[in-house]
Amino acid sequence: MKFREIRNVALNESYHEIIHASGLTILVMPKVGYSSAYAVFAAKYGSIDTRIALADGGFADIPEGTAHFLEHKLFESEELDAFERFAKTGASANAYTSFDRTGYLFSCTENFKESLGILLDFVQKPYFTQETVEKEQGIIGQEIKMYKDVAEWEVLFNLLRALYHVSPVRIDIAGTEESIAQISAEMLYSCYNSFYNLNNMVLAVSGNATVQDVLEVADRLLKPQDGVMAKREFVLEPPEPATAYIEEKLSVNAPQFMLGYKEHISTPERTTEERLSTGILLDIIAGKSSPLYKRLLEAELINTSFSFEYFEGFGYACPMFGGESKNPEAVATEIKNEIRKLKVDKVDEKSFERTRRKLYGRMIMMYNDVDGLANELAATFFTGNGLFDDLEGCKAITLDTINNRLDEILDEAGAALSVILPV
Amino acid sequence: MGAKPFVSTIAPGVRLCASQTDRFKTGCISFTMALPLEGDIAANAVLPYILYRSCRKYPDFSCLNGVLADLYGATLSAGVSKLGEAQVLSVELTSIDDRFALEGESISQSCAELLLDLIFDPDLDEDSRFREEAVQREKRLLIERMESELNDKRVFALRRCVEVMCADEKYGLSRYGTHEDIKTLTGERVLNAWQNMLKTAVIQIDMAGSGASENIADALRKQFLPIERNPAVIETVFIKTTKEPRNVEEKLPVKQGKLVLGFRTGTLDASDNASAFKVMTDIFGGGTYSKLFANVREKMSLCYYCSARLTRHKGVIFVQSGIESEQALPATDAILDQLDAVKAGKFEEEDIKASKMSMTDHLRSIEDSPEDLIAWYASQIFESELKTPERESQLINAVTKDEVTAAANRVTLDTIYMLSGTGEAQTDEV
Repeated sequence: MKFREIRNVALNESYHEIIHASGLTILVMPKVGYSSAYAVFAAKYGSIDTRIALADGGFADIPEGTAHFLEHKLFESEELDAFERFAKTGASANAYTSFDRTGYLFSCTENFKESLGILLDFVQKPYFTQETVEKEQGIIGQEIKMYKDVAEWEVLFNLLRALYHVSPVRIDIAGTEESIAQISAEMLYSCYNSFYNLNNMVLAVSGNATVQDVLEVADRLLKPQDGVMAKREFVLEPPEPATAYIEEKLSVNAPQFMLGYKEHISTPERTTEERLSTGILLDIIAGKSSPLYKRLLEAELINTSFSFEYFEGFGYACPMFGGESKNPEAVATEIKNEIRKLKVDKVDEKSFERTRRKLYGRMIMMYNDVDGLANELAATFFTGNGLFDDLEGCKAITLDTINNRLDEILDEAGAALSVILPV
Repeated sequence: MGAKPFVSTIAPGVRLCASQTDRFKTGCISFTMALPLEGDIAANAVLPYILYRSCRKYPDFSCLNGVLADLYGATLSAGVSKLGEAQVLSVELTSIDDRFALEGESISQSCAELLLDLIFDPDLDEDSRFREEAVQREKRLLIERMESELNDKRVFALRRCVEVMCADEKYGLSRYGTHEDIKTLTGERVLNAWQNMLKTAVIQIDMAGSGASENIADALRKQFLPIERNPAVIETVFIKTTKEPRNVEEKLPVKQGKLVLGFRTGTLDASDNASAFKVMTDIFGGGTYSKLFANVREKMSLCYYCSARLTRHKGVIFVQSGIESEQALPATDAILDQLDAVKAGKFEEEDIKASKMSMTDHLRSIEDSPEDLIAWYASQIFESELKTPERESQLINAVTKDEVTAAANRVTLDTIYMLSGTGEAQTDEV
């Protein structure tokens, strides 16, 4: 086992990284004065992992939504299911599947070791039968239908389908009713065996727990495993979107829109500097103190639902602006004009410093939240970063970095607009 | 941990509730102002939003947001909600703690001053009314906020069920007022609402963070000194039971139907057997160990979610579920069967234990979040004695099985509301 403590003096916080004999990396961030602890046991297996490595070195396609389906089914066992076991400890358990990972989690204020034991145990004990798989198709079918009615969700996935030709980020995380109908118990076992390998997983804990607590349970329940972290395939996307405009009609009171600028990337993942400088740029362009925000609000083109984000992960990167508007095309034109103008005028020192200070504050605020911290520890582990990288990176950024980044991204040739219109 | 907050009366019907702790990285301060859900509801509803967008010192919202950015990205939020038949307005400001200020300045002091400016010193025109352009802007935003509830069918179906069920009660009114009342709002009506709020609202100011409360208490007293306070008496009508359940179906072009069952708890007021009702509702439809989750979702595969929520300030329980439109009848029967099971005491000591453990676990975790802590105390705005989460845990743990079944047996079905699909939604790719 290898131990390392990573400290941040300014925050007065630290976490421990343990490479366990079993091959699992364990990250623990104790928080003094907190009652609750949060643990997430995650696999590097998300909706973008649509192919499975075969023994002969080749790949086989798996149905869309399999990672999410597997997440649901792992809670079941031959005896008590995981929810029933957690009911005895008082912990609240859940799980999520995102584009790039699956996480199983619980939070509790008492019986931490007992709950951690349940978490490590049930995630390592798959139990799938054809009967239980069929039963789940009904529940997940309803989950898929539920999201199909949520305009915010649809506007995002339509945009991803418009922007990306081949990247699996364009498929729905839960798949479709048709794709999940193809899932079998056997298929779940082979996906489990490929991705649920301790070398392809991480355990992250934050809050009212100690390294000793965690290791006591881990030593008991984790057995050494061979294997490596699953490799992902990076597929180059053409610079232009699949389509520049996409729309759908749903039962909404007013049109919803999302404008995205696909970034033309030649490496799969963005650096800390790229992420932070893009975040600062987007805030300067469209944040609440920006001239654009004021103009759009006063022209009655947006309302308080307006927001933006830098959406990025393995093989995709895309600044996005979205919200509700009676005239999405007009908003898109205004945003494009503002970006074009800023590319000529450049960012000035004052806006840069103000926005950086805002970002610094928002990062510090994150360190209150035990749940968020554990998830962030897991996420940064899979991308090969450290938890404190962003805060340190924020201090190091210069105005030149920002303006250089502005030259690289937000190219109109990669833009697409997704619109949801009222039925 | 678990310490009682410092509570201080500022003026009649105005109190400060401060939880001093240095375990957070942030400081948080909020104003909660409660009024009867009547009169100019629309003008009241627009208040927190118009107040949080500017003040005399910073009349322009871009400039105000610049000030917030300079305060290390302090976040300002506003809201309107219902607590029984009270309309509750809130404005909240969160910032990083002073120890993270890069130049040693006091962020908390600046934030407290800013919040007081927003509430007590708004940007008025030469006739001392709210500016027409600001009123126009907030009217539009409020109408759009209200209408956007249609976009989330879960929220929309619940709202419709409340409207149908409480059509003859104040509780059936929108917290935002009617579309028509918002549309006709003027700067003068908003001014009247603001003055009325300062004079008559029941007000609680909550703080959580490392900052001392003495300075803010003094500053608040100074602000309220010239105001002639006459706090409103806010009462909620509790309907014990309905003779015949109502059954309402509405159609929209959706892919998934939404079923909402509205029940009356038969309680006389918000404190009537409160703990027993909380435990009962949790066993019935709280966590993953609840009757509804275990049976309607897991055993019958009817839905992805099915849960029950108690609104004790009105004596109602709502069960919500997303289902196939044609499954409304079997799903309703399944939900009612589970309630009957709780009424008949068909649950084990173990089930009560699971509920209590889960509920007290949530209560203890409130102390780990400044926002949760503030929300916890703000929700007790009408209580004369503030309860700590720890005290609440003791009350929950004291509930017996007999009390749970007794509570369940007072519950009656009032309204079945079903939002069904029309099968018309489509995708057009252009």
